[in-house]
Amino acid sequence: MSAAPGPLVRGEGLTRAFHRRGGLFHRGAPVMALRGVDIAVNRGEAVGVVGESGCGKSTLGRVLLRLMPPTGGRVLFDGEDLAQQPAAHLRALRRRMQMVFQDPFGSLDPRRTVGAQIADGMQIHGLAHGSGARDAVAALLKQVGLDPDHARRLPHEFSGGQRQRIAVARALSTRPDFIVADEPVSALDVSIQAQVVNLLADLRAELGLALLFISHDLHVVRHLCDRVVVMYLGRVMEEGPARDIFRAPAHPYTRALLAATPSLRHRGTAGAPLAGEVPSIANPPSGCVFRTRCTMAQPACAEAVPPIEPMPGAADRRIACLRAAELSP
Amino acid sequence: MRRLSIRALAAPGILAAIIVLAAIAAPLLPLTDPVRQDVANRLTGPSFTHWLGQDEYGRDVLSRIVWGARVSLSVAFAAAAMAAAGGTLLGILGGYFRGVVELVTVRVAEVVLCFPPLLLALLVVTLMGPGAGTLVFSLAILFAPGFARVAYAETLSARSLDYVTAQEALGARTRRILARTLLPNIAPPLLVQFSLTVASAMVLESGLSFLGLGVVPPSPSWGLMIRGARASMEQAPLLLFWPCLALTGTVLVLNLLCDRLRDLLDPRGKAAGRPGFLRRLVALPAAPVGALPAAPGLLTVEGLTLEIPSRAGQVQVVRDVGFSLAPGETLAIVGESGSGKTLTGLAVMGLLPSAVKPVAGRILFTGRDGQVRDLLRMPETDMRALRGRDLAMIFQDPSSSLNPLLRIGAQVGESLRAHGVTQGVKARVVALLRQVGLPDPERAADAYPHEVSGGQRQRVMIAAAIANHPRLLLADEPTTALDVTVQAQILGLLAELRRAEGAMGMVFVTHNLAVVSDIADRVLVMYAGEVVEEAPVTDIFAAPRHPYTAALIASMPEGEAERLSAIPGAVPQPWAMPTGCRFAPRCVMAAEACRTAAPALVEIASGRHSRCLRWEEMA
Repeated sequence: MSAAPGPLVRGEGLTRAFHRRGGLFHRGAPVMALRGVDIAVNRGEAVGVVGESGCGKSTLGRVLLRLMPPTGGRVLFDGEDLAQQPAAHLRALRRRMQMVFQDPFGSLDPRRTVGAQIADGMQIHGLAHGSGARDAVAALLKQVGLDPDHARRLPHEFSGGQRQRIAVARALSTRPDFIVADEPVSALDVSIQAQVVNLLADLRAELGLALLFISHDLHVVRHLCDRVVVMYLGRVMEEGPARDIFRAPAHPYTRALLAATPSLRHRGTAGAPLAGEVPSIANPPSGCVFRTRCTMAQPACAEAVPPIEPMPGAADRRIACLRAAELSP
Repeated sequence: MRRLSIRALAAPGILAAIIVLAAIAAPLLPLTDPVRQDVANRLTGPSFTHWLGQDEYGRDVLSRIVWGARVSLSVAFAAAAMAAAGGTLLGILGGYFRGVVELVTVRVAEVVLCFPPLLLALLVVTLMGPGAGTLVFSLAILFAPGFARVAYAETLSARSLDYVTAQEALGARTRRILARTLLPNIAPPLLVQFSLTVASAMVLESGLSFLGLGVVPPSPSWGLMIRGARASMEQAPLLLFWPCLALTGTVLVLNLLCDRLRDLLDPRGKAAGRPGFLRRLVALPAAPVGALPAAPGLLTVEGLTLEIPSRAGQVQVVRDVGFSLAPGETLAIVGESGSGKTLTGLAVMGLLPSAVKPVAGRILFTGRDGQVRDLLRMPETDMRALRGRDLAMIFQDPSSSLNPLLRIGAQVGESLRAHGVTQGVKARVVALLRQVGLPDPERAADAYPHEVSGGQRQRVMIAAAIANHPRLLLADEPTTALDVTVQAQILGLLAELRRAEGAMGMVFVTHNLAVVSDIADRVLVMYAGEVVEEAPVTDIFAAPRHPYTAALIASMPEGEAERLSAIPGAVPQPWAMPTGCRFAPRCVMAAEACRTAAPALVEIASGRHSRCLRWEEMA
């Protein structure tokens, strides 16, 4: 395992456009799901990506794994530009980066046994065969808290939480360094959610995994992540250590998001909820994309896109707001 | 369900097997030579030696039918197999790679579909000369596009599924993804397409043979037999009848077989249930004799028990649920999936799915006329008069509960017109839309649902629900599908409505405890079909008196604790309920007594109930 200096995964200026189907001769106007996102995940670090629907967080996860090529910018994995790698080397690199999906019912092949699906990765990368693979599958099932005998069953015999454990086992089967977890607990019941969050936390501590945890639930992110990236309409609004951002959110959007999240402990303190809804991603506001809902917006906010810059007075935080100076914690 | 459809497969399956076996075993059966002529006895009717008679050359008809099946079936199966292999390959490649590949595979295959099939077959046969080989080839070309289309459509929908992406993420080669993940998952519709193709290939084969372009005489074939019998139709009409019967019968059996096969392979099963007005209240005993409660309030549910059929017979999904609601009060029903919270709500609205049967209890509702009715035993017609007027409901998914083809104003107006409002509907609709906070309500009334956002669609649903000033509003997970910032707005709107519609009671069904803390007066916690705790909202968070409530609160990812406290295990399935307390297997406080006897719901303080033997220890 080479250990190039710098972060394990780095995305630089990532953009991703989707073309809506137009007519026969013209393409529809592109929809920009990502607009110049910079992100870095260090070895063994857990980074949370939060935001509402349409903010581009899922696209970001898939672009970082090159399940989807970026339209602009580049992704470096352990110092290697993924776009520059020949197909065979990219497939080999995939051993080291894995994904856990949101829907535990859609992410497992309904017609193949759980054991066969967990063994896939080992066979593809020649890590284990035959009885070796069987033993490894049993060990993985045990590691995620399931009965090793369950390998012979089909996915529909399991509950949602168990399936998500199976999906985690499949992701671990290639002994990855980096896992993207795209809303892995939002389809689960509250009591089961905690089980899976704890499992991910344990595995991370045990295996030294780097984790990109995508979620709309700020509370879950706070529990699991070292650093948080807050996204809105394809752009990063704020980034910094999870502890600091939750204790003292700076960007008006982060503040609104935290205030809107229902909580047992802060009843009725939220104040007025954020007005309006996330604008259509096909037609985002000019300048700062958040300005149409922002309580602090000024005319200047409509003119220029605020760059994401280190926050005054907190070097480990970055913020994209013209009025950042007034927002310092 | 599944076992049932396997049995349904038996009859056509056995018939098809007999036909195929007879054709395969033709050389072994004690049949006369199908081509041996006996001109002296031409056109004789059925006899002991020739059961179905003899044809225009005196050949045995039964023997020719059986041998003809051999030709028809083998041509049809070979053609269908070739078409399936070729067409599926084209369809999968086109659907997976899209772009140019799609153009040269699927689109080219579709061009073939534009030709009339018989003309195309004629063309090929004219070019290559008649014979079984030519037939198979031309039929294969004709039927391949059908497979390409089915495979293409299935691949398109499957390739975006997470488990296909997961294979890609694992680093699998495309070939492996196509063969091991995609193909098995698109196989069922292709299998059905295959049996349909065999049937149509048989018909086409007979047609071509009839025209003299298929099987070459004297080889027996059903098409040739029909052709031969046509000449002597007036002397021996039965000769025409037998091959026609064989052809129609076989095609029917094959079609029936693939119908049943489709039912078996479709995991969703057949469309379930009958419409509401055909539903009958079976097995529901007469109301308990006990008189009405002294003060029935707005809504009183007593001993509600609901059953569904399962592999282990009838199982109770809701057991002995009871609660009451006063006018102007908001009750939150909180529970995880499988708790029975949604079914309880639907029972109140009289909207239970037809598989769910109420078997005990009553639902007493005081209408705006002051009369107390048992909703559980009310005929559907009376129920319909209440629904939308006295009773209203908001659903979870605002995008699927509005009709996409009707303007928003028309849909909100519908709830007014359905209950007799005819004058000034338009103005009232606009006022309602304004009340629920839609910007520019006049324009919104003229918009279609897809033109407004998810949060605004939910506002429209709420406008339709409150149009007639309902006495009871049932909100089933009304904010679950929304973003948090929008969720906060909708919760604010509902709280505002409570103030505006002072006498309206609200039942708020949700899985999210944190959501109810601001909106509810009282909370009912359900687990595995039972009420486990009921308390005023402030008490339940400050001092839960059931271990499940406590565990649920503790497992919410809030606070500074490093580690979440999870509830081990999972909600039990309705057919595998533990004998004692249903929460005991997951409970940290469970004692021996909890596993033997089911605890009753006891009143532990005024307005507080708990279904726990050890609630006192939680104080």
